[in-house]
Amino acid sequence: MVEKIKNYFITNYLGISTGFSLFLFIFIIPQLFEDSDLIISLIRGIIFSIVVGYLVYKFLLFRRNNPNFVPSESKLVVDAGGSLVAIIVGLLFGLLLMLLVNPGQAFYGFSIILRGGLNRNFKSLGDMIFFSVPIILTGLSVAFAFRTGLFNIGATGQLTMGAFVAVFIGVEWGALGEIHPLLHWGTALLFAMIAGGLFGAIPGLLKAYRNVNEVVASIMLNYVAMYLNTMLIVAYIYNRDYARALDIEETAITPIMNLDLIFPGSAINGGIVVAVIVVIILHIILNKTTFGYELKAVGFNRNASKYAGMNSKRNIVYAMMISGAVAGLAGGLMFLVAGKHLKPENILIPEGFTGIAISLLGLSSPIGVLLAGLFYGSLQQGGYYLQLLNFTPEIIDIIIAVIIYASALGLVLQKFVKMILKRKFLEKEDGEPQDLAVEGSDE
Amino acid sequence: MKKLLLVVAALVLVFGLGACSKVDEYEIAMITDSGGIDDESFNQGTWEGIVEFAEDNDLTYKYYKPLEVSDAAYLDTIALAIEGGAKIVVTPGYLFETSIYEAQDLYPDVYFVLIDGVPHEPWDDDTAFNTADNTLPILFNEHEAGFLAGYAAVIDGYRNLGFTGGMAVPAVVKFGVGFIAGAYYAAAKLDVDIVFGDDTYHYFGDFAPSDNFKNMASSWYTTGTEIIFSAAGGAGASVMAAAADNSAMMIGVDIDQADQSDTVLTSAMKQLGNAVQQALQAYIDGDFVGGAASFKGASNDGVALPMDTSRFATFSVAQYDAIYALLVDGTVVVPADYATLVTFLDDATLDYPSQAEVEGTTE
Amino acid sequence: MEYIIEMLNITKEFPGIKANDNVTLQLKKGEIHALLGENGAGKSTLMSVLFGLYRQEEGIIKVRGEEVVIDSPNDANDYGIGMVHQHFKLVHNFSVVENIVLGFEDTQYGFMKYEEATEKIAALSEKYKLKVNPKELISNISVGMQQRVEILKMLYRDAEILIFDEPTAVLTPQEITELMSIMKDLASEGKSIILITHKLKEIKEVADRCSVLRKGKYIGTVDVKTTSVEKMAEMMVGREVSFVVNKVDSKPTNTVLEVNDLSVYNHRLAKDVVTDVSFEVKAGEILCIAGIEGNGQTQLIEAITGLRNPSKGKIVLNSEDITHCTVRNRNLAGVSHIPEDRHKHGLVLDYSLEQNLIIQTYFDKKFQSRGFIKFDAMRDNAVTLIEKFDIRSGKGATTSARSMSGGNQQKVIVAREIDRDTDLLIAVQPTRGLDVGAIEYIHKQLIAQRDAGKAVLLVSLELEEVMNVSDRIIVMYEGEVVGEFDPKVVTENELGLYMAGSKRSDQ
Repeated sequence: MVEKIKNYFITNYLGISTGFSLFLFIFIIPQLFEDSDLIISLIRGIIFSIVVGYLVYKFLLFRRNNPNFVPSESKLVVDAGGSLVAIIVGLLFGLLLMLLVNPGQAFYGFSIILRGGLNRNFKSLGDMIFFSVPIILTGLSVAFAFRTGLFNIGATGQLTMGAFVAVFIGVEWGALGEIHPLLHWGTALLFAMIAGGLFGAIPGLLKAYRNVNEVVASIMLNYVAMYLNTMLIVAYIYNRDYARALDIEETAITPIMNLDLIFPGSAINGGIVVAVIVVIILHIILNKTTFGYELKAVGFNRNASKYAGMNSKRNIVYAMMISGAVAGLAGGLMFLVAGKHLKPENILIPEGFTGIAISLLGLSSPIGVLLAGLFYGSLQQGGYYLQLLNFTPEIIDIIIAVIIYASALGLVLQKFVKMILKRKFLEKEDGEPQDLAVEGSDE
Repeated sequence: MKKLLLVVAALVLVFGLGACSKVDEYEIAMITDSGGIDDESFNQGTWEGIVEFAEDNDLTYKYYKPLEVSDAAYLDTIALAIEGGAKIVVTPGYLFETSIYEAQDLYPDVYFVLIDGVPHEPWDDDTAFNTADNTLPILFNEHEAGFLAGYAAVIDGYRNLGFTGGMAVPAVVKFGVGFIAGAYYAAAKLDVDIVFGDDTYHYFGDFAPSDNFKNMASSWYTTGTEIIFSAAGGAGASVMAAAADNSAMMIGVDIDQADQSDTVLTSAMKQLGNAVQQALQAYIDGDFVGGAASFKGASNDGVALPMDTSRFATFSVAQYDAIYALLVDGTVVVPADYATLVTFLDDATLDYPSQAEVEGTTE
Repeated sequence: MEYIIEMLNITKEFPGIKANDNVTLQLKKGEIHALLGENGAGKSTLMSVLFGLYRQEEGIIKVRGEEVVIDSPNDANDYGIGMVHQHFKLVHNFSVVENIVLGFEDTQYGFMKYEEATEKIAALSEKYKLKVNPKELISNISVGMQQRVEILKMLYRDAEILIFDEPTAVLTPQEITELMSIMKDLASEGKSIILITHKLKEIKEVADRCSVLRKGKYIGTVDVKTTSVEKMAEMMVGREVSFVVNKVDSKPTNTVLEVNDLSVYNHRLAKDVVTDVSFEVKAGEILCIAGIEGNGQTQLIEAITGLRNPSKGKIVLNSEDITHCTVRNRNLAGVSHIPEDRHKHGLVLDYSLEQNLIIQTYFDKKFQSRGFIKFDAMRDNAVTLIEKFDIRSGKGATTSARSMSGGNQQKVIVAREIDRDTDLLIAVQPTRGLDVGAIEYIHKQLIAQRDAGKAVLLVSLELEEVMNVSDRIIVMYEGEVVGEFDPKVVTENELGLYMAGSKRSDQ
């Protein structure tokens, strides 16, 4: 009984104290040096600390309730561990590069990169979230297709089509906004999704019924989208004086949803809410529904899914359609922002490709992609504030690219992590010895 | 417990140590436009001017890159530059109009130099212009630069002309109008016939080079075009490549592009560096005058042809000085739009490009 | 006593697994020494240690009394150790000579000395009665001949110690007999042979001594002449095993599956790989399709189960034409299918056991409501089947299929297919690669299904299985049915002749 109370106390105590120390670190100490509103930052800090404290508490509770938990047997731990090691490797590469370029400020600069979205507290945190929304969504798009065994390299094109349709509706269908502002914005987003979805369905159909490699088809469609976008903008919504699309109506702008109260001074808008909803929906589709069960089966083993009587052709089309719709949504949210304009430029929008790296880093799981996307946003913010030091923006871009690249590559290290964990928890191993030998000699 | 200590130590290192380091301050700041610092156009021209001036006067300088091309990101980067110690912020390009409109009031102690634009409210249809006293917008008479290029080309012996623009934005259209005016002015003077080909007046729709643009330019050269004036920023490289393939010549834009290719006859320069340096000079002298746009044309050395690096056969410095003087003293008033071009040429028999072509509304 | 190879107290550990735990193997000169054990017992690991692919953690290897370190297969070759792999390593469009000298080429001024090689090979072939024509192309000779080329390859390299890894898996009964006599000849010429197998009959026939491994541990070495098959099986499995499949006579009733003039065209080969095949399977009987691998059985079954389109013919299930039905509709109409390749078709290896158990039924009301999977029902289903079919796995229902042993993976499939309770059960090589215990279990299940009134269609390459389990046998050769037999009447030898295509009954 005493033991129980003691355990309970320790668990709670650690949770609370972790939350509290973070609270001190991030919210109170900086406030002592800046003359901003202490009360508001106090309230924000308390909310934030409670969340963090709760998570730590839950973690400790889990550890206590599952004393026999074997990390190496848990796919989650191994995979997440691999991603973490990958990120650390990536960061070290970045540090190395910084030491080469500007050794005097490398460590301070590195700390700025690590602080990332916390460089300016809630302002930069808000900015980080804002800029990671399109990345999260394109990452989800790639990840969802990937779970079905498809490599959707066409997220860029789908995003472009979504962006154009959203902006077109944002410019032209102002009448909707007079009925209700959200109607205008919502319609623009909906049609962005439809446009992206239809554009994604094309490689899906080609793959399913003509066995055309989806990578080739979607790469080519990226260029179709790019030129189509240029053509359509010039034809319908062109602002000749600025060589870009016209301003969207105010009602089509993504609403802030009061997030500026939490993240004052930042660019944040309701996009993150949409992104989180999409994460949840995709997570449910993949893990809870028969549709997701089918999709994953097709992705893991197309032959077995055929054997089981699943319609893998239909599933491929649906998967690409959903993947495209999510990318289209990313395009809509990217450009339904005041002061941001679609341009008739012949440049592939890079967010679609960043999504591939994010999907890799997030292990193709919706929640993983959300975290990886926020990580990317944080790095981006870190790089942005790094400009205050003597680093040129180009070098910073390279550093960020190296970190992301090395992180995605470093996933190879997953096996390594598994090995280490296994060594540590050797005695828990059961199962039969495997006949590895002859397989090896067969090489 | 040991692990916890390690984590705390790491946190202190990351969040604590950092704060003690001293950050350098940079007095002159430039924010880059959508292209990079080496865009062989606006960013580069402005930046070179800043570097030269700052080195001569021993001032600190730095450029910053926004996270994306949007009003909010531009404004945020201006704030970052000011945090980094900027006392004067130079922004190349009209895309900064709206962010400077807000920044000039937010940071009244900071000076702003806005090139090629005038601050206004962020909505297309409600363009309330306002230039505060701490802001100096600099505008160029592109038509005068275009006029000089067209004049020089025809005097130098070229008869069959072409024009490519990046996009039909006002500045580029003015280059073209001036180019036509200059060419026909010279033709009238020499009493020769010149011609723009059927389809040789075109806007690419992009400022970045592409093989398509090169192919187009190449086809012009093979069907008789002798020289192309490319007012298309970096996309000019495509025209240079086409010219090189056909042993033909082209005319560059914005900055002196002579060192990019042997095919560059001359460049219709905006004296970006000059203009920026004039503003910076005023700033260090303490007599920075903002509040209204400053127009840079022939009269105040704002446009030029780089006679040192040009590859003219006959067109001489003396001839250049003569025509330049005419622009300065107002004897020749170069038209800036199509309507005045028509009156300027005042000859219905001439077959110069149509209004739709010049204003880029043919698509 | 003179040992040519001694592996003493070998221990080889993989992370978390002791694949070999203090194993000892002593090979006498000129003997045939069988290495017996179930799958996963550590036979292959032990041989890989000997062949230089792995380094042991403990223990020593002696060759001809000298302690040696073998770091790579090249070292092994230098010590005169050669291996005939289960899957041959031959270049098909090369001739026999070219294959044999590959990697061991003798050249003069940069030119291959083929004549000498050809002569040497011909001489070796003569000496050991291998009957191999050195100039023939590999693609033109039978599987049995190809195996002899592999043997020649070792002899050409002057190997003294020959390791045969499951050599009979791909052979017809006649070829097996010939291989046995070749092995005996080799041994009598002074070669020492290690025979890896789990087939007791072969050991009894050819081997002198036999070492048994079980779960990585060394159980013992016995003299084959004086040890009964039952005893060796018990050493291998760890308990008594019955070899006789007990079954009553079948009582066939109504026809469940009827196949009429079925042909399958292969576009790549541009020919029919199944030609005009007709047969029927009745409720309450096991019909076995016998034949050597690659004679159209796979394509025939794929056509019946809907994975492949037939070019001609009709498939009737319970008097309903299903020739053009989708796989799903066939499943619903009453076809269960234990597929030939459990990794390719039978399982989604990255899915858990419970997920794999509902792979054809996830959309059923039982497991799904409004598009959401009923996780409780899925779990209950798995728990029931694990219990009923004795499926063993590390973490029960949530174990990933990939981490399970082959036998238990097969049990998952068998459990799933039998539990669907359909009229027709198709089982393609259901015991492939399984150990004695698992084979016994699966045979019992098949017979239980038959006795429950199901129609069972069994495709098997193992003659023993064919003879023991089936009620009726048809033999396929080159896509055609070449004969139908009663297992109580026909002999294994007779069947072998039909399987090899040297005999056929006119239909």
